[in-house]
Amino acid sequence: MKEHIEKRAYHVEILPPKQDSAKLDADLAGFAEKYQRVMASGFCACITDNAMGHLAFQGPEVLEELRLSVPPGQVMIHLNTFHTKESLDEILVTCRRQGIRHLLVISGDGSDRLPKLQPADVGATDVEAVTSVELLRYIHRQYPGDFETGVAFNPYEPPEHEFEKLVRKCAAGATFVITQPVIEKHPVVDQLLATTTLPIVLEAWMSKKLHLLSQAVGYEIPEDTPFDPIATLRMLHQTYPACGMYLSLLGFKTQYDLIRDTWSVPTSKETR
Amino acid sequence: MRIVVCIKQVPATNDAVIDPETKRIVREGVQAILNPFDTYAIEEAVRLRARLGGGVEVLAISMGPPRAEAVLREAVALGADRGILLSHRAFGGSDTWATSYVLSQAIRTIGNVDLVICGKQAVDGDTAQVGPGIAAHLNWPQAALVSAVREVSTQHLVVVRMHEDGHDVCELSLPAVLTVVKGINVPRVPSLKGVLAARKSEIPVWTPEMIGADPAKIGLDGSPTRVVRTAPPPPRNKESLRFTGTAEVCAGGLLRELRKRSLL
Amino acid sequence: MRLAKLEERENFRNIWVMAEWSSGRIQPVTLELVGAARPLADARRSEVWTVVLGTGIADRQLNELIACGSDIVLVVDDPAFTNFVDETEARVLCALIEKHRPESVLCGATTRGRALIPRVAVQTNTGLTADCTQLAIDPENGNLLQTRPAFGGNLMATIYCANFRPQMATVRPRVMSARPPDASRRGRVIRGTLPTVSAAACKRVLEVFHSSEPGVNLADARFIVAGGRGVKGKEGFNLLRRFATMVGGAVGASRATVDAGWIPYAHQVGQTGQTVQSQVYLACGISGQIQHLVGMQSCDCIIAIDKNPDTSMMKLADITVVGDLFEVLPELIRQVSIT
Repeated sequence: MKEHIEKRAYHVEILPPKQDSAKLDADLAGFAEKYQRVMASGFCACITDNAMGHLAFQGPEVLEELRLSVPPGQVMIHLNTFHTKESLDEILVTCRRQGIRHLLVISGDGSDRLPKLQPADVGATDVEAVTSVELLRYIHRQYPGDFETGVAFNPYEPPEHEFEKLVRKCAAGATFVITQPVIEKHPVVDQLLATTTLPIVLEAWMSKKLHLLSQAVGYEIPEDTPFDPIATLRMLHQTYPACGMYLSLLGFKTQYDLIRDTWSVPTSKETR
Repeated sequence: MRIVVCIKQVPATNDAVIDPETKRIVREGVQAILNPFDTYAIEEAVRLRARLGGGVEVLAISMGPPRAEAVLREAVALGADRGILLSHRAFGGSDTWATSYVLSQAIRTIGNVDLVICGKQAVDGDTAQVGPGIAAHLNWPQAALVSAVREVSTQHLVVVRMHEDGHDVCELSLPAVLTVVKGINVPRVPSLKGVLAARKSEIPVWTPEMIGADPAKIGLDGSPTRVVRTAPPPPRNKESLRFTGTAEVCAGGLLRELRKRSLL
Repeated sequence: MRLAKLEERENFRNIWVMAEWSSGRIQPVTLELVGAARPLADARRSEVWTVVLGTGIADRQLNELIACGSDIVLVVDDPAFTNFVDETEARVLCALIEKHRPESVLCGATTRGRALIPRVAVQTNTGLTADCTQLAIDPENGNLLQTRPAFGGNLMATIYCANFRPQMATVRPRVMSARPPDASRRGRVIRGTLPTVSAAACKRVLEVFHSSEPGVNLADARFIVAGGRGVKGKEGFNLLRRFATMVGGAVGASRATVDAGWIPYAHQVGQTGQTVQSQVYLACGISGQIQHLVGMQSCDCIIAIDKNPDTSMMKLADITVVGDLFEVLPELIRQVSIT
């Protein structure tokens, strides 16, 4: 992960096609196009796992079906706790086969249709429900050395609780952190940078619809709030130069070309 | 041996939109999904096929409009060997009696069926009547609300049935009909490979003649029950009562109100 | 059966109630159905018959059926009914229906009733309406008007079974009210005039387990205390359980809490859990996803406790408490315990 930040490689979120898509072929083609642009830029594609509890196909199976190659270090998949044990192992084995090393391990969102991993599935005996911590332990125990795992950090939750969770996630094997969307200099993010030596990647919200973040940040953002994602991204680079950036809801048609120079390549003098 | 799973396409939400002119429910434009309980029926059939070893075929059948073909493809993506759609204008308006008749005729037509599995109910009608209705039309034994299949052979089943006050274990001879509950298994999510293969699967459409259905027993005319009118539910007391303030004040006010309404 | 001519309706008389026999006794829903059947029979100038299929049935219970409104109690007391064998019960009930030709048959919408009565409806070739919340006689033609919620309670549908007899309906427990017993009411218990019972060969009940966990019987509960994400964990549910026990209620839960492992699936209310119809539904920290609301919006009185006054549940509720459930619930427990 450190090398992603050093190489100034953005993490670009891509959603795989949904299970109930009425235009699956078009969605697969759209996925392939986005993926290839991210690869060509030398960035890292981050593929979600049933985001918001909506049933979608899994990143590794989509890559396999579309015969898309995985350049080393350029693909990260999200992996949450809403799977059967069989499908969890299938995803991990496929990742290993394809050379996907980076996993963002999260609890995730459920739905009536999504199965939830049970403690026994991941060999956990001391918990009532599987969280990212149990999933991390399972991955590192069953697939030692195969994966570099990251975890989520939410600066909008009570910090004491969030930092305590981060300690447990690190103890379970996490080696990098990706935050919830950061839209301004935030004291809890400052605190995070001050307390951990792990690589930190900030989520940069690339949609103009800032109000969609109301629930995530825990206060009401009016629907017509003006928001310039590109300007905010530049501001985040200046404010947090040591951090990577995870671009969510990036517009490939309108924004992709604009982010070319937002994180300029370091000159040889400018080393950390 | 064949296992038949009876499935239904239902609206994704229950937000009923009533056409003010026709007073009928508007179904157009509402997203349609596989009845959630049917995913457990499909999964159980697929698992029983594996438990029984070779020579078992799993078929999914559904009665509905042409677009219900989508749920049969989903069943194939989830592991069913093939699907059959029962679709014809003459089936329209069937109540649970006529629906279970049509499904039972299809099961007879398929032949060599030893087990029928249904979800415990469809979430749009919530009647839970079609499963036992099929068993009655076929004159087969039934077990409703099955939460586990303990034993299975080509001759018999041992199942666990849920009741309000606990559960029981019973043995049924085959052929038989089961309705299954959510807890029976954890359904898989279809793989991309499975979905792509299911798109190519042939889904034949069967008509009343093809299943030898008596025209007097299907559709609106063959249905004993008929909806004579629909109305919005009695309005909830919109004068809702709100308590704010300290916990002591809120709790006291709430308890007073519950006692006043004889609810405590 | 299908009526060739409408005049054939006259060949069918009386309102029947199929008694709910389980755990070795006649269940309260039976008296509720008798209470619902009484005005229907009066409107049709006919009788209420209650059919009891059980074994070792106490006379006291049979007399109670009469005191609460039955005119005739038809009893088959046979060891074949020790456990629930759908096929045996259906066969006997079909034979009784064919012999006595009731105009209507009401049955509890219980797990047993919902398995048994669709089988009987098909075998006697007649219509059945599930989960009726209102039953009435059409004054014009004497048909049974059966009203039930449809589309998760967003619509009430009224259903007729005009050309078939008997008219059959199921009703959930606690939807109808039993009448107070009147010891002076006269009625008749008929026994032993029934066809010989032979147990179905196709099914054997091997074992029966009665649930030992209290507070899980949501279908029968009058008062449900339910928790969502706001309950925060297993500890929070213990608080709900304490209050539920004090008010003689059961504990319900949202899907998210079941997924999180805070409480077993048996407690889940909603589309893929149970549909409940209690008198009181006290929602604690449940935001109210539509899949949850369809499972409980037919409850009589919905109360919501939440810090956020704008959730879907708070909008649906009849009584809302804007506050922290971890403060309000202990206070409710304290105040109930001192009164």
